[in-house]
Amino acid sequence: MRLLVIEDEPRIAEILRTPLEQAGFAVDFVRLCAEGQAALALHVYDAAILDLGLPDGDGLNLLAELRRRSDPIPILVLTARDAVDDRVAGLDTGADDYLVKPFAVTELIARTKALLRRPGGALGLKLKAGNVQFDTVGRDVCVNHAYVHLPRRESAILEHLMRRLGRVVPKAVLEDKLYGLDEELESNAIPVHIHHLRRKLLDAGAEVEIHTVRGVGYLLIEKIS
Amino acid sequence: MRTWLRSLEGNLALRLGLLYLLAMAFAMGALLYQAYDTAGTLNDRDLNLRATDLARYVVLGPEQAPRLELPPRLAAAYETGSSDLYALRTQEGRVIAASPRSFGEVVSGWPNPSDEASYFRLKAFGPEAQDYYGVSVSVPSVTGPLSVFVARLAEGSLLAHSLLREFMVDAAWLIPLFMVITLATGKYAISGSLKPVRQISELAAAIGPGNTAVRLPQHDLPGELVPLVAAVNRALDRLSQGFAVQREFTANAAHELRTPLTIVTAALDTMPGDGELTKLRSDVARMNRIVEQLLRVARLDAVGLDVSDKVDLNTVTEGVVAAVAPLALAQERAIAFLPANPPVVVRGNAGAIEDAIRNLVENAIAHTPRHSEVCVQVERGGSVRVADEGPGIAPEDRQRVFQRFWRGKGASTRGAGLGLAIVKEIADAHHATLSVDDSPSGQGTIFTIRFLLAVHRPRDAALAKAVSR
Repeated sequence: MRLLVIEDEPRIAEILRTPLEQAGFAVDFVRLCAEGQAALALHVYDAAILDLGLPDGDGLNLLAELRRRSDPIPILVLTARDAVDDRVAGLDTGADDYLVKPFAVTELIARTKALLRRPGGALGLKLKAGNVQFDTVGRDVCVNHAYVHLPRRESAILEHLMRRLGRVVPKAVLEDKLYGLDEELESNAIPVHIHHLRRKLLDAGAEVEIHTVRGVGYLLIEKIS
Repeated sequence: MRTWLRSLEGNLALRLGLLYLLAMAFAMGALLYQAYDTAGTLNDRDLNLRATDLARYVVLGPEQAPRLELPPRLAAAYETGSSDLYALRTQEGRVIAASPRSFGEVVSGWPNPSDEASYFRLKAFGPEAQDYYGVSVSVPSVTGPLSVFVARLAEGSLLAHSLLREFMVDAAWLIPLFMVITLATGKYAISGSLKPVRQISELAAAIGPGNTAVRLPQHDLPGELVPLVAAVNRALDRLSQGFAVQREFTANAAHELRTPLTIVTAALDTMPGDGELTKLRSDVARMNRIVEQLLRVARLDAVGLDVSDKVDLNTVTEGVVAAVAPLALAQERAIAFLPANPPVVVRGNAGAIEDAIRNLVENAIAHTPRHSEVCVQVERGGSVRVADEGPGIAPEDRQRVFQRFWRGKGASTRGAGLGLAIVKEIADAHHATLSVDDSPSGQGTIFTIRFLLAVHRPRDAALAKAVSR
C-alpha cells in the first residue's frame, strides 16, 4: 500500500515514517503543495495524508483541485485548525476524514486503514481485524485461518463492522444494509443477528468483540492480547 | 425619599416649589399693597366728587341765604344709612346743611379748609361709635366758596377686600394650577431626557469579560451627559483592546504548543518500551488535553458565538456518543444514548452544543466506575441529561464545579479543570440552564443542560445544516 504524506514539519514526518512503515505502508513524504501535486500526478497512491497549513499554500486548495479532477484517492486531513467551520470546510471540500493536532500515531494509522477498508480501497477486498479475515469477494470469513460459516445477513453485518473497525456503526445504517436482503425487517432483527454473530465469533476464538452502544449502534474492537 | 431628593427630578421639584412659594408670597404682598392703594385713591376721588356734587346742589334761598336742595334720590341715599356723612359750611362758619345733624356740630369747630383737599379721620362718631374717613375742601358754589366736609365709614378696606376677592375668583386659582403644571412639565422633561440614561445603565450593567464589544449609544442623550458616556466608551475601548490582546496571546500560545506536542506525542507513541514510557505517554496525553481545552476557552472568550441556528439535539448527541464510545469502551465503561421522540430542535450553535455535550460525557466517563454505564438522554423539553454512577458531588461543590481550574477533592489528576467551565460558558452563551443533581438511584450524578427550544418547525435548510455536521 502506497501512502503520500504532505507535511511541512520535518520532525513530524521523521517520527511518522517508522510506525507507518511498520503498519505496512510504503510512504512518500513531501513538504509543499506543489510537490504533492507533482507526486500525485506521477504515481498512484492508495491514500494521502494532508497537512492544511503548508508553506506554499492552503492544503484545502490542493484537496479541492484533486476533487475537481474527480480523483477519488482517500484523503485524511491533518490540521491544527480546529474551529468547527474549518472542520466542516475540510469535509465539504472532499476530505474523507480529519485529525486534529496533536494526534496519537495509533489513531492516525487506524483512521488511515479505515479509509483503505472502504469498498474499492486497498484494504477493502480482504478485511482484517485481529485474527479475523473477511474476503469480500468470496464472502468467506476465517478466524485464525479456519473457515467460519455465517449466514448472509450476519456476514453483511460483520463486513460493515470490520470496515468501520473501532468506530460506532449506527443501528440505522446496519438496517439499511440489510433492507435489500430482507424485505420484512423485524424491529429486533439487528440485535438478534448481532447476538448470533457474537456467539459464533466467540466459539471460533476470534480476537474481536462486538460492543453495543445502547441507543446508537455497535462497534467492533480488536481484543487487546 | 432621601434618594429621590438627591435625584434631578426631586431637586428640580423642590427648588421650583420653593421658588413658587416665594414668588407667590411676594405677588400677594404686592397685590395687597396695590389693592389697598387703589382702593384709597378711588375712595379719595369719590369723596372729592361728592364734595363738588354737594356744592352744586347749593342754591340761594329767598333771603339770599344759601340752602342745600338735594334731588330726592340722592337725599334718600344719604339718609338711609349712617355710613355717609356730609356737612356744608359757609366761609363765615354757618353750617348750611349736615347729615346727620351731629356731624354739623362736630365740623362747626373746624377751621376753614383750603382749595386743596385735606383728609381727616373721625374716631368713634355717632351712636355706634364708628370710625369715619373724610375730606374737607373748599368748593366754589353759587354763594361763593363753601367748606364741604364729606366722610364715609372707615372701612375703605371693604373695597380692597372686594377687589381681592374678585382677583381670587378670577385669577388666583390659576397660580397653584400653573405650579402643578410647571412641576409636572419639569418632571416629564427630566424623566423623558433621562430615559436613555436608564437604558444605557441597563446596557452597561450587562458588560462583562464575555462581551466587551458593547458600547453605550450616545444619540438621544441629554447633551450634558454625552462627554461622560463618550469617556466611558473610550475606557471600554481600551479595556476590550487589553482583553483581546490577552485572549489572542492565550490562543496563540496554545496553538503554537500543538506542533511540538504532536512531535513529542508521536515520538513517545513510536518508542518501543514500557514502564516509564507508559507514564510519560499519559503525561503527554494530559498535556494535550489541557492545551486543547485552553484553546477552546480562548476561542469561546474571543468570538461571540452565533447561536441563531436550529440544532437537532438527537443528531448532535448521537454523534457525540458515537465518537466517545470507543474511548469509553477502551476504559471498560459502557455508554448509552436515549433519543427524544419526536426529535427536539433547539436554538443554538451546533458545534458549541456538541462541545458542551462532549465535555459533559467525557466528565461522566472519567467519574463513573469500571463496568458501569454513562447514560446520555435527550428530553422533549430541549435538555440533555448525562448520568454517571460515580461517587457524586457534594451539594456545596455543585456551583463550583463550573469554575475554571476547579478540581474536586481526591479527583484524578488527569483533567485540567476546564471541561465543565467550557460547558458553563457555552450554556451561558445559549441562555441555557445547567444543573447538577443526585441520581434518583442514590448512586451517581446527573448533569442537565437545558437549551431553548426553537419554537417554529425547523426549515429544511436549517435542519440539513445542523445534520450535515
